[in-house]
Amino acid sequence: MLKPVQEAVIQPFTGLLASISTALILPFDETVIAQGRVLRDATTGFAVSIEAGCNGVEAAIVLIAGIVAFPARTHHKIIAIAAGFLFVQALNIVRIISLFYLGQWNYTVFELFHLYLWPVLIMLDVLVVFAIYLQWLGKQHPAVEVA
Amino acid sequence: MLMKRQFVLTLILMPITFGIWYAAGTLFAAPAVWLCDLVLSLLYPSVVEAAALQGADMIVSSEFGQLNGQIMAAADTGNRIALEINSRLVSYSIAFYAALLMASNLEEGVFKFCVGLFWLWVIMAFGLASIVGKELLMIVGGPFLAAPGVPPADVIALIYQFNVLLMPTLAPVCLWFWQLRGSPLWEALAEDIKRASSAGPSLPR
Repeated sequence: MLKPVQEAVIQPFTGLLASISTALILPFDETVIAQGRVLRDATTGFAVSIEAGCNGVEAAIVLIAGIVAFPARTHHKIIAIAAGFLFVQALNIVRIISLFYLGQWNYTVFELFHLYLWPVLIMLDVLVVFAIYLQWLGKQHPAVEVA
Repeated sequence: MLMKRQFVLTLILMPITFGIWYAAGTLFAAPAVWLCDLVLSLLYPSVVEAAALQGADMIVSSEFGQLNGQIMAAADTGNRIALEINSRLVSYSIAFYAALLMASNLEEGVFKFCVGLFWLWVIMAFGLASIVGKELLMIVGGPFLAAPGVPPADVIALIYQFNVLLMPTLAPVCLWFWQLRGSPLWEALAEDIKRASSAGPSLPR
C-alpha cells in the first residue's frame, strides 16, 4: 500500500541521513563509512542500520500535523514546517551519531537510549518547536488585545 | 518563561522517573498485559491462546504450532509458537508522562497521575496487541492472515507504526496537555495560542 512512498521518499531520505551523519563524524573519526542506510565502523565492524521509526519521520509528521491544523497564514505554515523539520532532523542526526558510539561502548546503554530515551527526547523537541512557533506567530501581530 | 521551566524540569526529572520505571518494569506493565490478554482472547480466540507477564516480558501463547517445518494450527501440531514481547517498548510512556506531570506541579497531581495512568494502560494494551500482530505476521505469515478477523498485512503494519512507534510518546503529551487545564502554564499557553490565532488568516464574516 505504502511501498511506493517508502521506495521513492523514505528510503532515499534515510540514506541521506546516514550520509550526513557520516560526513559529520568523518573529520573526527576516519574509520566510519556509510553503506546505504547503514553506518559502519571499519575497524570494529560495528554497524547501525537506520530503520523506519529511527528516521524522525513520525515526529516530523506529528509536528507538521500540528502546524497545518493551527490557524495561520499559509506562508507562516510553510516557514514553520521547513524550519521545524530541519530542527527535528538536526536532533535526529545527533541521536544517530550518539547511538553509533553508545553501541560500540555498551549495548545495554545503547538499548536504553535507542528504545526509550531518544524517542522521548525527539517528542520533547517537537513540543519545543511547536511552542516556539506559537510564540513566533504571536509576534507577527503583537498589538492584538488578548482577553 | 513557564514553558521554558516546564521543559527544563521535565529533562531534570526524566532520569528519576525512568529509573523508577525501569526498576519496577513488571508493576507498570501488569495491568496492560492483563488487558491485552483479555482483548486478544476475546477478539482473536483462533490466534491467541493466552498472554501472561514474565518479568518485564509478555509471553504470548499462540494457536499456531510447527510440524516438519510447516506452520499450522496448534491442534494439529501438538505444540504452540510462543512470543516473548518486551513490554517496556510501550510502557516507557509512563515514565515520560510522570516527568511531564511532575514538572508542571499541578493541583491534585496524584489523582491526575492515576487517571493518566489508567488511560496509558489502555493505550499500552493496544500497543502490545499491535506488537503481537506484527510478530505473528513475521513468524507465522499466511496462516495468521487467513485467521478470521485478522486485517491485511498493510493495515497491521500501519497499526503497529501508530500504536508502537508513535503513541508511547504522543499519548503522554496529549494526556498532560488535557490535564493542564486551569493551571498557570495552561493560562500562559492559552494566551500564546490566542495571540498566535489572531495572526492567522481572516475568516469571512
